[in-house]
Amino acid sequence: MPVRGHGRFGAAWWEALGRVGLTETRWDGWPVTVRRAVIAAAVGLLLLVVLAPLFGFDASAFIAYAVFFALYVPSWERWLGKPGQWVIPLAFLGLTITYPYYGSKLFTIPILGAFPDVHTAVVMLIFVMMAVGLNVVVGYAGLLDLGYVAFYAIGAYSCAALASQQFAGQNANGSPKRTIDFGAIGVDKSLGGIHISVWLLLVLAGVLTSLIGMLIGLPTLRLRGDYLAIVTLGFGEILPQIARNGDNLFNSGFNLTNGPQGITPVDSIGFGSWIHRNVGLPDNYLIASNGDRLFFWTAIVLVLFTIFCSLRLRDSRLGRAWIAIREDETAAAAMGIPLMRTKTLAYAIGAFFGGVAGAYFAEFTTSANPDSFSFNFSVFVLVMVILGGIGNVWGVLFGAAFLAYLDQAGLADTGAWINLHLHVKIDVPKYEFGIYGLILLVVMLFRPHGLIPEARRKLEFEQGVADEPLYDITSA
Amino acid sequence: MINEAPTGTVVALRQRRPPVNVLTLIGIALVGLLIVWLAINLEKTPYQFFSAFLIGITNGSVYGLVALGYTLVYGILELINFAHGDVFMLGGMIAITVVTSVFSLNGGDPAYVVWPALVATLVISMVGCGLINATVERIAYRPLRGAPRLVPLITAIASSFILQNVALAWKGPNFVTLNSGTSGGADFLPQSNVFSVGGIRYTWPSLIVLLITAPVLFALLWLVQRTRQGKAMRATAQDREAAAMMGIDVDRTISFTFLLAGGLAGAAGLIYAVYFTSVRFDQGFQLGLIAFTAAVLGGIGNLPGAVVGALLIGMIQSFNNTLTWHAPGSDWTQSIVFAILILILVFRPEGLLGERTPEGG
Amino acid sequence: MRTRLFVGVMASVGAAALALAATGVAKVGGTKSGQVLPASSCGPLQYGGSGKPQYIVASDLPLQGSSRSQTIEMTKAILFQLKSSGWKAGKYTVGYQSCDDSTAQAGKWDPAKCSANAGNYARDQQVIAVIGTFNSGCAEIEVPVANRASLGYVSPANTYIGLTHRPALPGEPNKYYPTGKRNYARVVAADDFQGSANVLLVKQLGLKSVYILNDKEAYGFGIASAFRNVAANGSVGVKVAGFAAWDPKASSYQDIATKIKNSGAQAIFLGGLECENGGKLVKDLKAGVPNATLVAPDGFSSFKDTIKDAGSASEGMYISIAGQPYKFLSAAGKKFAADFGKSIGLAAAKVNPYSNYGATAMQVVLAAIAKSSGNRASVASHLFNASFTNTPIGNFKLNQNGDTNAGAISFYQVKNGQAPFLKLISPPASLVALAKP
Repeated sequence: MPVRGHGRFGAAWWEALGRVGLTETRWDGWPVTVRRAVIAAAVGLLLLVVLAPLFGFDASAFIAYAVFFALYVPSWERWLGKPGQWVIPLAFLGLTITYPYYGSKLFTIPILGAFPDVHTAVVMLIFVMMAVGLNVVVGYAGLLDLGYVAFYAIGAYSCAALASQQFAGQNANGSPKRTIDFGAIGVDKSLGGIHISVWLLLVLAGVLTSLIGMLIGLPTLRLRGDYLAIVTLGFGEILPQIARNGDNLFNSGFNLTNGPQGITPVDSIGFGSWIHRNVGLPDNYLIASNGDRLFFWTAIVLVLFTIFCSLRLRDSRLGRAWIAIREDETAAAAMGIPLMRTKTLAYAIGAFFGGVAGAYFAEFTTSANPDSFSFNFSVFVLVMVILGGIGNVWGVLFGAAFLAYLDQAGLADTGAWINLHLHVKIDVPKYEFGIYGLILLVVMLFRPHGLIPEARRKLEFEQGVADEPLYDITSA
Repeated sequence: MINEAPTGTVVALRQRRPPVNVLTLIGIALVGLLIVWLAINLEKTPYQFFSAFLIGITNGSVYGLVALGYTLVYGILELINFAHGDVFMLGGMIAITVVTSVFSLNGGDPAYVVWPALVATLVISMVGCGLINATVERIAYRPLRGAPRLVPLITAIASSFILQNVALAWKGPNFVTLNSGTSGGADFLPQSNVFSVGGIRYTWPSLIVLLITAPVLFALLWLVQRTRQGKAMRATAQDREAAAMMGIDVDRTISFTFLLAGGLAGAAGLIYAVYFTSVRFDQGFQLGLIAFTAAVLGGIGNLPGAVVGALLIGMIQSFNNTLTWHAPGSDWTQSIVFAILILILVFRPEGLLGERTPEGG
Repeated sequence: MRTRLFVGVMASVGAAALALAATGVAKVGGTKSGQVLPASSCGPLQYGGSGKPQYIVASDLPLQGSSRSQTIEMTKAILFQLKSSGWKAGKYTVGYQSCDDSTAQAGKWDPAKCSANAGNYARDQQVIAVIGTFNSGCAEIEVPVANRASLGYVSPANTYIGLTHRPALPGEPNKYYPTGKRNYARVVAADDFQGSANVLLVKQLGLKSVYILNDKEAYGFGIASAFRNVAANGSVGVKVAGFAAWDPKASSYQDIATKIKNSGAQAIFLGGLECENGGKLVKDLKAGVPNATLVAPDGFSSFKDTIKDAGSASEGMYISIAGQPYKFLSAAGKKFAADFGKSIGLAAAKVNPYSNYGATAMQVVLAAIAKSSGNRASVASHLFNASFTNTPIGNFKLNQNGDTNAGAISFYQVKNGQAPFLKLISPPASLVALAKP
């Protein structure tokens, strides 16, 4: 008789089911497909009986349910062999890529409101990218980073400064001093400035952010966990202030970031007229009629790249070194893992993705403004990682998408629904960070490994680690 | 002192670090440059210098009260209680609410009305904040006592945001204000000068801040050094398991510490409210960070160190904002404070007065 | 065997459900109710005529945070003006949607929200013009996006110089118009007028030196710099004693007050928004430099908030607004204030001056639509080199840059907890030309 550990709730549940004839043994005896079909049918019945009468029937809801059924129930790996494990991710990818076509026709989620429009979806994807980047630092390497907004800011500003007329300078007669054009799109030559192709800039911004991340990390990464968190918080506060004071950096007169006005407008993203004519790719996203969709699909490519890198890192030697450091620093060092270098690499890689995400965001909003950068932002990305499942890319993906959706539209719609149906007047979006704080608290208290946990992390939370830092800073 | 953390059994492995004497030299050089800069400014604009000095001391005292709370909690739990700054802000709001709604103090009220009301408000806000702090400890920190160190830190941030939103829900996004008198400070405080030399005015509201802070510090020191509870606190800070074996109720001691820290936050909140006369729900976090910097500067876990650090930070802020010869100016004050935080944590984590411990603080 | 049977049954159930849905037995729900612009940023479409309007005018204002009281009233004024025109502009029918460029969290305009809104307007072909924005920083982000879509903007409140004309920072204003054609106009005088008028006020008060503060935000820095450049020129006879920033997150400004006191400045100019801790700043300045006169631009023009936050320390401070007060409005303007005020239950003199500007912006937009051939570019082109008469702010012209020729700045002085109108200053062109952001 299979003995499985159950919590109080689980045990009570099985007892109740046993009374009607479905014992746990019998349940375990059924094939996987049957079990899943029963669960899916139960869910479907629940939705039909409870939600449909309240919120109305909707064709798209039925179709969505059918898709969910088709993906969840069959055991694809058994039917198709090794390629079977790709069915669900590919299906999901396909659904995401085609989202702009059916997104507006989808049903309205009860309470939360409509599915996000394509513009919101782009923002969600950018946050996903950032969360996956932060996951490398917090999830894989176990370094608490409270200053992730600094990387976002550096990425945004480096892209914006090198793709606008920021560095044009001015001659006496008013004409720009320098014009450097390297593959940029839609540039007004008379304005001057440095305009580098945005594709290159995405990489450049990432690399620059990564370098600065390494610079920041070198002196600070040897600190203990909570001190490191505070130091990163400090950097997260200093860098936006540098951005704000950057129009007259250290009273030298050099305008790096255009100060409080921010850098606007930023060059548009695209492939240029030659490629447009010959290959058919869009020439300029900002004037294309389906610009939002183009941004969306490009964002998907970036997110795929980020996820790919993250998964490969996780399974590499470096990833295993991170696990070792997380669990027992002394033993890891004794095994010959170079502690500082490994931690710095984690930081630099997280910074890279943060920088690329920041650069893309600057492109998308065609501006880089110091008002966008605040400590709340760092905490926001941290909540995504923690809620989703610290260390688990898929968990982080869903956590990020969900929270970004809440931030952009979900909270406002939920607030409207609550006000309408409960006859109160609460401005729900105003308490956004209180809600996130509550989410963090509840997650930390009851399920610190997140909603979709990473197996090893879960064990670490449950069984504890030997996490005293290695470095002894006594004088003798 | 609540600053002796348990000596670990971690084996010290020698690894490459920059040689200590180079860093010390650089540190001394920087401090030297700072002193030179101050001296030149003193020579050029002496009145400004002394005014800044006095303002810095006063602001520093307020920071000091908050920093004491941080240091107390850190000493006993090794936890940076991010929510402390927000408890302090709630204390300020409670104080303003009580002063305006319950006692209806106005400028022109005689002293025998004002002072009892202020004392009562002090008690109310200290008790209120103490209870809030103890509740936060009970809900958010105690269940996570054995968890990895980063977990309570995240919970602290979460509590901070929750408290901020409680303040937001209670008083809204606007400033909660008291009417200020001609010398600054609330208008029901005495507004006359304590002394006035040349261009420098030192007024009663500023002195009142010092007059409240100093006794609180001494009372706290007495409590920690000379009473049984204080001994229990020190013992728990030193080695929690051994303290439990000695018969100390660790949970109660920790709760008491949080209550005490909350009381300090409440007192600081009242002083802030009647001296600065303007609070908003989101100011607590920023101030908390400044106070934390002060605590770290002085030596985290070290009570007089927290006050010393706070006075220094207060003075650095006011010198930067007031002095004119090659001063970075008010544009950079926030960055300077955080830069100090980073530098101290990286190069001298035990602070100015603290003792070195194996985990670097 | 049983597995496959089971799965087969389930699959058929699913297919049946699909078929049912497809035949339309199940009701299709979830259509958005007549909303054109997304509900997450915009209010419902308001249209009083029959059926649906041909075009939509949207307003882009920060509806949350400290400017809320002003902007909410502005949206009502805009709607009132449209209603008074019978929901028509010439032969076209026009509806109105009020959109928000602020977030609850920030309590003021948010760059990403501004950019998103601009994208929404650009994509929705029914939107033919936009009234906005309130904050100059937001306009700097939205105008280039709208420019690419040839969408016209009329701002009732932006004052940043570089949006429309020079002198400005390098590259301005052309960088806001990537297509090379203008699409942005405003019915208020810009910072060059307000800055120079404030300098003239300082001079007229007989004060010799002024210390300039700014809040390190887009608007505040812009107007403080404009003020500085006019004063620094020297032709007015007012000396600049210093230029510094106040940190909105600081708890006290006594130290800055000490610095100002020692500089000997007789006046202090507060270039910034009141919600950036302006109240505390006023209190500390009054306490630390009691003999100095405080002068503030329209960032402090929400009188209720300024007086409440600063308390008795606000007594005697001067606040300017780029435009005419009720007293000097033309007959049309007074009538608007009276009628509109009645519709929202306010006395005519209590109507916020910006409401008149909001309504004027709507009148300008409607006039441009009426003259146009029904597409965006045409509407935008009619915003320039045009005269407007009998508007809620009087008669004025918009020049080729989209700037108004009405350069009068009104000053109010706080007395006994109220802010009555003091005087009007129209700075001469020679002075205005000196202002630079």
